[in-house]
Amino acid sequence: MNPRRFPSLNAVISTAIAIASGLIVLAGYFFVQAANGQASLWTDLRLTLLDWAIILAGFAIFIGVFNLLQVHFKKIQNKQKGSFYSLLLILSLLVTFVFGLVRPAQMGFVFTTVQLPVEASLMAILAVTLTYASIRLLRRRLNLLSVIFLVTAVLMLFATAPLPFLGLIPGLSDVLRPFIAQVMAAAGARGILLGVALGTLTTGIRILFGADRPYGGNK
Amino acid sequence: MPAVFSANLVDLVTGGISFLLTLMVLSYLIGDNPVFRIAIYIFIGVSAGYVAAVAWHQVLYPRLILPLFSASRGERLLLIIPLVLGLLLLFKLSSRTASLGSLPMAFLVGVGAAVAIGGAVMGTLLPQTQASMNAFNLSTAGQYQLEHLGEGIVMLIGTVTALAYFHFGAKATASGPRRGKLVGIISWVGQIFIAITFGVLFAGVFMAALTALIERLNFIITFLSSL
Repeated sequence: MNPRRFPSLNAVISTAIAIASGLIVLAGYFFVQAANGQASLWTDLRLTLLDWAIILAGFAIFIGVFNLLQVHFKKIQNKQKGSFYSLLLILSLLVTFVFGLVRPAQMGFVFTTVQLPVEASLMAILAVTLTYASIRLLRRRLNLLSVIFLVTAVLMLFATAPLPFLGLIPGLSDVLRPFIAQVMAAAGARGILLGVALGTLTTGIRILFGADRPYGGNK
Repeated sequence: MPAVFSANLVDLVTGGISFLLTLMVLSYLIGDNPVFRIAIYIFIGVSAGYVAAVAWHQVLYPRLILPLFSASRGERLLLIIPLVLGLLLLFKLSSRTASLGSLPMAFLVGVGAAVAIGGAVMGTLLPQTQASMNAFNLSTAGQYQLEHLGEGIVMLIGTVTALAYFHFGAKATASGPRRGKLVGIISWVGQIFIAITFGVLFAGVFMAALTALIERLNFIITFLSSL
């Protein structure tokens, strides 16, 4: 029997679950109210299914964290290069998780002491790396589009904040900057957003029709 | 230990940890080094542990575990389905049993696809199209009707040409996407609008990063001067 022609029972059930759950949730978006003005059955079903999906996402987070532990534990077991870092990761993960379970009210302490300074510092590094990247862009790929990109960025930087001894540059800050940011960039952003939305729509419909089965449905 | 002293001690310890982590991360400016990596691995571990703790306290415990013991019989029966699907999802941890996890994955993908479609239509397509039409609404322009109309025309050209750049009928080739002649010209104009958009976004991100750099340097100076 050719397995390509006859998908497994698991694949058929998976596809049926994906299509059914997707269509029910989608129907809940379009049939919001019943004839008596109250929430329709479709809306109730949509909310129930979304609730289940949130619970499953919670399970998925634990699977992801466990997988992270597994990968780094194997690194330590095999004494691979950088296993000291893996040990630090595992220790910090377990300590934070246990602390979070025992003292949930004090979790803000972890955030302000570790996450906030590291994230802010990473953001700070970005100022230097972005400058370096823009110089590299000019040296490696000098074409019309990269010049437009960099000229726009420089214009925005000079026009947004008051410059030392000069203040806001007349014409640049009050005329050119609003036109570039609120008309030209907004138009481009709108085109990108519409393109992304149309792509999302197409991908979603393909999944609901069973044409794409990213959950392992033999396609 | 007096309360004031203990509060100061806690501040000193948390400030000290933040100070050390900040220096460790900023050390990347002289190149990739072990100190930076230590900070990043600790950060990833802490973030993963934090997310897992939040998932337990905000999702699994209040939405599944607690109702399973305290809700009505009907609600408890209904919660058995996500419980079973969640337990099946755990089979994804091993490659041998991963196929059993495809059922909850299918459910997640189906619901996710529907939510994405709903979000794309109601959150992006309809409001953005409406906003494009509003650009031609001259009743709100007052005495600047001509300027308003000009801006509307530029926005329409920018939106349509940038959208044409995402032309789904383009054929993928080794030298990039191949489009028809007319679509090629339109999408070239769209590329200019996209480059301007990214330039504006780049400037915004750069200014935010610069603000973060100033804030971190200020923190370092404040911490050192408070010692």
